[in-house]
Amino acid sequence: MALANGAILTGLGVGLNAVRAEVFRVKPLAAIPGPAKHAGDAAGEKETLKGAIAHVANYLDELAVKAGETSAEIFEALKMLLEDEDLFETAVAEIESGWNAATAFIAAVDSLEEIFAGDAAFEERLVDLKDLAKRVAAHIAGVHMGLDLPTSGAYVIVGDDFSPADTAQFTQAVVGVVTIKGGPTSHTAIICRSKSIPAVVSCAQAVDLIDGTQVLVDPVGDRVVVGGDDSMATKAISFIAKSLDPIVPVRANIGSLDDSIQAATTAANGVGLFRTELLYLSETSMPTPQKQAKSYAEILKAAPEGPIVVRTIDAGSDKPVPFLDMPHEENPALGIRGFRLIQDHRQFLIDQLTSLEVARQESGREVWVMAPMIATASEAIEFAELARSLGEYKVGIMVETPAIAMALRDLKGKLDFISVGTNDLSQYLFAADRMNAGLGALLNPWQPALVRMLKVIASESEAAGISSGVCGESASDPAFAVVLAGLGFKSVSASRSQVGAVRSALSAVTLEQAQQVAELALAATTADQCKAVVLDALAAIA
Amino acid sequence: MSTITTTVTIEDPIGLHARPAGQIVKLVKESGLTVRMGKSGEELVLANSPLRMMALKAKTGEELVVEVDTDDQGVADALFAQIQDFLKG
Repeated sequence: MALANGAILTGLGVGLNAVRAEVFRVKPLAAIPGPAKHAGDAAGEKETLKGAIAHVANYLDELAVKAGETSAEIFEALKMLLEDEDLFETAVAEIESGWNAATAFIAAVDSLEEIFAGDAAFEERLVDLKDLAKRVAAHIAGVHMGLDLPTSGAYVIVGDDFSPADTAQFTQAVVGVVTIKGGPTSHTAIICRSKSIPAVVSCAQAVDLIDGTQVLVDPVGDRVVVGGDDSMATKAISFIAKSLDPIVPVRANIGSLDDSIQAATTAANGVGLFRTELLYLSETSMPTPQKQAKSYAEILKAAPEGPIVVRTIDAGSDKPVPFLDMPHEENPALGIRGFRLIQDHRQFLIDQLTSLEVARQESGREVWVMAPMIATASEAIEFAELARSLGEYKVGIMVETPAIAMALRDLKGKLDFISVGTNDLSQYLFAADRMNAGLGALLNPWQPALVRMLKVIASESEAAGISSGVCGESASDPAFAVVLAGLGFKSVSASRSQVGAVRSALSAVTLEQAQQVAELALAATTADQCKAVVLDALAAIA
Repeated sequence: MSTITTTVTIEDPIGLHARPAGQIVKLVKESGLTVRMGKSGEELVLANSPLRMMALKAKTGEELVVEVDTDDQGVADALFAQIQDFLKG
């Protein structure tokens, strides 16, 4: 079915600039012949297989060269697996029982699935290996499997989603990208962001786009317009500050000394999220309290003026600290992570807070501390008591679980502040894995249920006399930051690069205007509508 | 020929995954030596296939037995040191 001019296909935008060009559909793979027996020449089949494996290994070498140093290691490791002797022997056994070379190799790779079941790290490699097995089979059958992208002209390439092997082949002619699947954190989105290629991902209706159609890729509008021209591109609203100070303080997120120094060059009012795990992930043994205190003091001294909110270690089996014992878990996002770690590693937290107190005294800075992954009021109180016994801190927690959002009233008089991590809150509220590319639409911060949950958190905090802020990714979006202030949050914390933009937005509106905008967001029933009504209202104000 | 044995510890936070397994196999093949690895108390496997090594499912913090067929203690020690280095992640 061809799409009419003017048809609007919605997805999730990546980038700030729109582009208009012709659609280039990435062809679905030519069919690879199904399983079949060979004609009796087992020795010949073995040679055929050896040759095809060598051909694909060669192709991996080419990719490694194109990809550059960091990714080259991945291709090198893949090549070792492809050329694995055991794998070849397994395939040879299949050939000897009558299957042809291609069928035998695919069967050999499939047999790995059973051996490695439940091993998350290997599952990713297995997906890659299966892709390589297909390439081996395609080579044997004489079927071409490359992306075959045009090398001149200007095209918007449209496909299901693109693997690292695909994006490595993007040519100069690729000026826009549309994917039917994939989310805001998919590989395609990350590559397009880093190469400044306008993209719309998770765009289901793009399945109907055909070659030759002119489209406008409009990432700011989260849409693709069939036949659209540049004049239809959604402009990012340019906020003009009307007052000197924003309606709520805008802080910066940092994770290292370098971040801290850079953040001090922005107009940030202190630090709203200092992620401490980076200081530990690269260590092979527990750093001494002296070493920790020294690192903390350097970072605190460099930080932008204002309070510094330090989050205690937020590690889990998906981001393990090498010197803490963190067994493999089936669902690391729902496992022993964040504050839950202190069940087994209480001393670690005590050392962290003690070292931080030494650094606080040395730097003379105002330090707030908060614990991540809190689900009950008793956990929050346990943390608050521990932190207060170890230093002169303002004490708070991250609000990431729906459970603690419903228990904020029980914390009256127990906490000084809370800070919402919207990425994890979305993940837990929508039961949608942040790592799953297919679930991007559920993790959109404009989802009405998330906005309403944020309203509950802001109101409950207010009622309990606890200061509330947001340090999640959503606070880096200037328009969303206005909604947050309107919902009643007392501060926001953005990525370093977004501090200026968020500050401008929050200086361009009054608190009453922000509250009106928040009311519109609360009344919306879909994420698209929510974003649209807020942007319209803000465009009218700014 | 005699066999020289040691134990190494997996320090890599992801365990014995594709990259270190590949590095070990490459080293072993280049050395021309017969090297076996495995968990203590279990049957050791020949260290010439990365997939077979990964199938040991050795996790961070676990120890592995490494044995090499050689009479040259110096050669064995150098090999062991490199294997341990690959397992640091």
